[in-house]
Amino acid sequence: MLFKLLLGAGFVFMLAVAFLLGPSRQRSLLGARSQEGPHLKLMSWNIGYGDLESDTRARSADLPAVAEIILSNDPDAVALQELTGADQLKLLLAHLKNRYRGSVSSFGRADRVAAVLVKDRRAHFDDVVTGERFAAAATFHPNKDLPEIVLVSAHADAFSASRRRTFAADVVDWTRGRPKGEIAFIAGDFNFEVSIRNKTNLFTDEAKHDSEAYAYLLKYFRDLGRDAGETSINDRRIDYVFGPAETVTLRRAEVLRGTAIGRMDHWPLLVEIVL
Amino acid sequence: MTTLLRLELLKLLRSRSFYLSFAALSGFVLLMLWGFYSYAQRKTSGLAGEQFKYTYESKSYFNGLTFTLYSLVFAFSLLIPIFVAMTAGGQIAGERRAGTLRMICVRPVSRVSLVLSKFVIVAIHTYLLMAFFIALNLLVGLLFVGWGDLQLYPGALNLVDEPGRILRDDALWRFFYASFSGTWALLVVAAIAMLLSVLFENPVTAVASTLAIYLMLYIVGRIEFFVTLRPFFFTTDMDFWRDVLKPEIPWPSFYHYATTCGAYIFGLLLLAVVVFERKDITS
Repeated sequence: MLFKLLLGAGFVFMLAVAFLLGPSRQRSLLGARSQEGPHLKLMSWNIGYGDLESDTRARSADLPAVAEIILSNDPDAVALQELTGADQLKLLLAHLKNRYRGSVSSFGRADRVAAVLVKDRRAHFDDVVTGERFAAAATFHPNKDLPEIVLVSAHADAFSASRRRTFAADVVDWTRGRPKGEIAFIAGDFNFEVSIRNKTNLFTDEAKHDSEAYAYLLKYFRDLGRDAGETSINDRRIDYVFGPAETVTLRRAEVLRGTAIGRMDHWPLLVEIVL
Repeated sequence: MTTLLRLELLKLLRSRSFYLSFAALSGFVLLMLWGFYSYAQRKTSGLAGEQFKYTYESKSYFNGLTFTLYSLVFAFSLLIPIFVAMTAGGQIAGERRAGTLRMICVRPVSRVSLVLSKFVIVAIHTYLLMAFFIALNLLVGLLFVGWGDLQLYPGALNLVDEPGRILRDDALWRFFYASFSGTWALLVVAAIAMLLSVLFENPVTAVASTLAIYLMLYIVGRIEFFVTLRPFFFTTDMDFWRDVLKPEIPWPSFYHYATTCGAYIFGLLLLAVVVFERKDITS
């Protein structure tokens, strides 16, 4: 009888402790405290459609709604992915009431481009060459008292982790090669599979490539949107904003869920920092 | 109870499956060494360095601690539970099959003591398996791969979400903790096997059913279709054992899952005891 009572008591005790203790620890944003200083707001958004569509590139019909979301959040710079080309960007800039200037990357061997938009009228743009793919970069001054900011809009291969790895390394190297004094950010859809919730594969070369690419990015940058959660409708966190590890303070990182238009499979990631 | 434990321990030490489990784990370590060694060679020399400019897979990454970590994570999921299920599943049903259960039960020992003493022996076997496996991996790792810090990266093994490092001495302590957390997690499988061993007449049926339940939930839990069901599987709770190998141990989460596993263990054992006490032993 005593043993049975002990087993019963053990069962109840274990159950009670399991209920009392939460299953996961809530992480607070790094340096989330309110801070004085000039703020910079960056947005990254892949405005393409999900895989089930015959053409997964952005739709011009969605651009008024895209522009509305950008204007309502008022970011200083925006990194967009999966546009069909410069004409679509021109259309978007018109919907943005010309409050932004922008540029697209070259096509390379892809049928879609990355774009970068900034408010600064004196910004200059670069085409970042990364093997067969391209990324778009803007160098701008959000405020005349601040150092120059560089934002790279990148879109890594969706189907090959080894290509993602090469691409990420090239983008990081290009950014690190910028003149000292500039503050660099890399934003975009990297399609990395590095979440700890994805336990489907114990060890594969694909997972390892993504792991190494992400680790390489984190060697020089901080993943500013890490605590903001999933960025695509299939519960994956594949859109990122990487920023300097130490010189900025993260104020807010938010995925604007529910803002996907039509059959877009990504939500915008908005990051606000104090410089 | 002490006499029962001594007798059960003697039975365990005399069974061939006890030694088979250690031999199989040793074979797995040798296979891991072969795979790891050739992989490390391929990834740190020749064309690998030219294909990708940057890699965390430097020569310092491939060390005995990394080897132990990979080996332990792979074996824990699919290999060690087989031996735990084999030992636990054969405890009551094995006695029944051999025709000795009736004789044991006519002795002046309570059936609860009998089940519990058998479970304690299973727990000891499980701990010995974990401790032996970790110690063997560390030894083989030290001799054939070399020492260093334990470096962790997101993606591979799905252990961390940012790169981290555990210093060598601390990492050794973490493996020591893992021998206990791993044992506790595996006792869930042992408790299921114990219950099924009470329910079924044949030890093979008990072991096969335990493995079928474990593998079904383990595999289903890794398929995205069943993502909403995943939190309700005991295999998901069992994963807590790896938390001690993270650079910063998430203690609240660790305690939550450890006690959830504890509830499974105590609940299943209580059920096994209640069923066994009311069971008519006819063979």
